[in-house]
Amino acid sequence: MDQTHKMPGKRVELQMARSMCWHCQSEVHGEYFCVQCVKVQPVSKELDYFTCLGRPRLLNIDLGVLEAKFYELSRTFHPDFFQNKTDAEQAISLGNSALLNTAYRTLKDPIRRAEYLVQLEAGAAKDIRTSPPAELFEEILALQEDLEEFRATSPDQDPAHVEQLRDKLKADRELLERRQKDMESRLFALFTAWDSLQGRSGHDDHVRGKKDAVLKEMREILSNRTYLRNIVTDLVDTIG
Amino acid sequence: MAYSEKVVDHFNHPRNVGSFKKEEEGVGTGIVGAPECGDVMKLQIKVQGDKIVDAKFKTFGCGSAIASSSLATEWMKGKTLEEAAKIKNTDIVQELNLPPVKIHCSVLAEDAIKAALTDYKKKAEQPK
Repeated sequence: MDQTHKMPGKRVELQMARSMCWHCQSEVHGEYFCVQCVKVQPVSKELDYFTCLGRPRLLNIDLGVLEAKFYELSRTFHPDFFQNKTDAEQAISLGNSALLNTAYRTLKDPIRRAEYLVQLEAGAAKDIRTSPPAELFEEILALQEDLEEFRATSPDQDPAHVEQLRDKLKADRELLERRQKDMESRLFALFTAWDSLQGRSGHDDHVRGKKDAVLKEMREILSNRTYLRNIVTDLVDTIG
Repeated sequence: MAYSEKVVDHFNHPRNVGSFKKEEEGVGTGIVGAPECGDVMKLQIKVQGDKIVDAKFKTFGCGSAIASSSLATEWMKGKTLEEAAKIKNTDIVQELNLPPVKIHCSVLAEDAIKAALTDYKKKAEQPK
């Protein structure tokens, strides 16, 4: 692996916040450390998480490569290495590390990665809105009412009725968990669709339209999944 | 972060919890959700003439979402349809002292009001 980034002044791929060293005012060209005074430089706050970890905006990610990149950059900016430095340098190291950590945590998890990409890309296509899933809402409300009824019962009331309710809720829970899984596999299929579109020219209107359709579908699945996840959590909390 | 006193009050003593039959005459139902947090809110109005005579809600979500919908039903009662349509999420934010991260709860309540009004009007226009 390329280790040269550790050399102060060596130019690497992250976009930096300033074009002038905060300390000695000499010009910097994206180096992590100033060529003149060797002080650490702040990473641009506008960096998106994909760029931050040197990944293209794709959804199928090699987690090993991602981790290696994260560790490599972590070693460069880790606050432990700046303990004996000035407050300003410590603050920059902390800021850069915080951004890297958030970026890694977001991209590592496929659901959060997808949510982040949709949020990033939707900026370019503002009109991506999901239709409210009316049927799902009705279903959730009905389930929540069953849950409330179950919570209100005490075992000595009518054991048979309580058991019946519990069994129903258990069955509901299994069904919902299966649906959540289905949603996730549909989502992961869209990952591949997105990645293949990313490989094609982005200026093409046709490609843009297809991309927007994929983004919209992903957003729909992601928001429906959030509703489902909440009710499943409530079910698990209540019936175990 | 602590909830404001008013949020806690509405949360502990929610006004107008419950529901009407959706098919009942004069009833408008709005069901909305917040995809960010997964909260679901159902708000119903009962209309006589052009006045909202009763309102009920059921909300499954955080304290702020419950308080927002509870307050919304309180405000809607006795208002005309036109007046109710003017309730803004910013009014709810102000009344409940909602912090910035909870503003979407008040937006949800406003959406629910609009959805209930729309549903009522749609039902009223349908031939009986």
